[in-house]
Amino acid sequence: MAVAILLIFALYAAIGALFGVLFVWRGVSRIDAAANAAPWPFRLLILPGVIALWPMLALRWHRAIRTRGRA
Amino acid sequence: MSAGYVTVQWNRHKRIYDACVVGGIAVYLGVFFAVGKTLYAAPNAISDEILAMRALGTCAFLLLNIILCIGPAARLDRRCLPLLYNRRHLGVATFLVALAHAVIAIGFYHGFGNVSPFISLLTSNTNYGSLSAFPFQILGVLALLILFLMAATSHDFWLKNLGAPAWKRLHMLVYVAYGLLVMHVALGFLQTQRSPWLAALVGAGVVTVSSLHLIAGLREYRKDGRRTHCSQSSGTHAGETWVDVGSVDDIAEQRGSTVTIGESERIALFRTNGCISATTNVCAHQGGPLGEGKIIDGCITCPWHGWQYRPADGQSPPPFTERIATYRVRVVGRRVEIDPAPLPPGTAVEPARIAEDLK
Repeated sequence: MAVAILLIFALYAAIGALFGVLFVWRGVSRIDAAANAAPWPFRLLILPGVIALWPMLALRWHRAIRTRGRA
Repeated sequence: MSAGYVTVQWNRHKRIYDACVVGGIAVYLGVFFAVGKTLYAAPNAISDEILAMRALGTCAFLLLNIILCIGPAARLDRRCLPLLYNRRHLGVATFLVALAHAVIAIGFYHGFGNVSPFISLLTSNTNYGSLSAFPFQILGVLALLILFLMAATSHDFWLKNLGAPAWKRLHMLVYVAYGLLVMHVALGFLQTQRSPWLAALVGAGVVTVSSLHLIAGLREYRKDGRRTHCSQSSGTHAGETWVDVGSVDDIAEQRGSTVTIGESERIALFRTNGCISATTNVCAHQGGPLGEGKIIDGCITCPWHGWQYRPADGQSPPPFTERIATYRVRVVGRRVEIDPAPLPPGTAVEPARIAEDLK
């Protein structure tokens, strides 16, 4: 049970870390125009939050891409 | 305010605040260590790791108590508002201190076995049915996860992208973290140490936090009740309902005031340059009470973090883009009347001019 909990936690964090790097590099300015010219320290500062909340941000990034595709 | 993100919005006030926080933590840890070394001299000496663990743990708990006291204290006494201004940095500092405590504790108690420290943490004690042997460390880990989530989402980027209500709900989890930490300390440290002064300190913290919240809540409740009672409809004209909310003399020049009409949200009134304007009382940033703020550089300025809005249209001055709801307002004699229907955020409303002989 403990191993399963830790594995799920580690898997979630690992996916979050991979997504997080992509998100702070490209995605953040897609979902929020105010982040367009944001410096890299800002992007690193939001990275832990991105790793924690990656499903929500993935959904928002996906929506932003779809909206841009329609436009 | 969201014209473009910067890493940390430092200014002179915040630098001083942060220097005090870092200095205060360093002094606390130093004094705790020095006193601990003296109290626990040979033959009752304890290891540096245990002393560091206790120093960091008590420091984090104390900081969390301070954080929770700042909100109600600022409601009760405006002199506490500067403490509220940069509370987010205090929260991040609390998380870092708690993290250091957890790293040392997990390493010291679970790091020397054959299994992973995290598996050991979850499996070494499973007496969930026993109060006297409850695995209190799990409670600390859960509290730490909440503090992490709050620290990680403390930047304005998260406030904007989660939305103010969701962000606020997320950060209200601090009370859950506090409850978990009280149990963590009560079931763990107090059980093993049985120290009366420590029990008294934890109890004093809980009583202080609870009392301040209760007093501030009661005061706000009474204030709302009084204002609701005073307001009365003064007639309808052309689809507008005007409600008398008090005298122009109730509002000082360049200052705000709040009124509540019926069960509606609080409305903030401002008096500047001989005119009265009305907006929502809720700041778009973190829901700060705008009516308790003042007019600075011609703008309504939130007392919590200094976000600004123009009184005439509820819009932040360029290049910022935040907007708040405005209300139609008029002055009849010395009385201020409001149409309680909020207008869409950023709607321009002609401020009501106070007649020259009444100013």
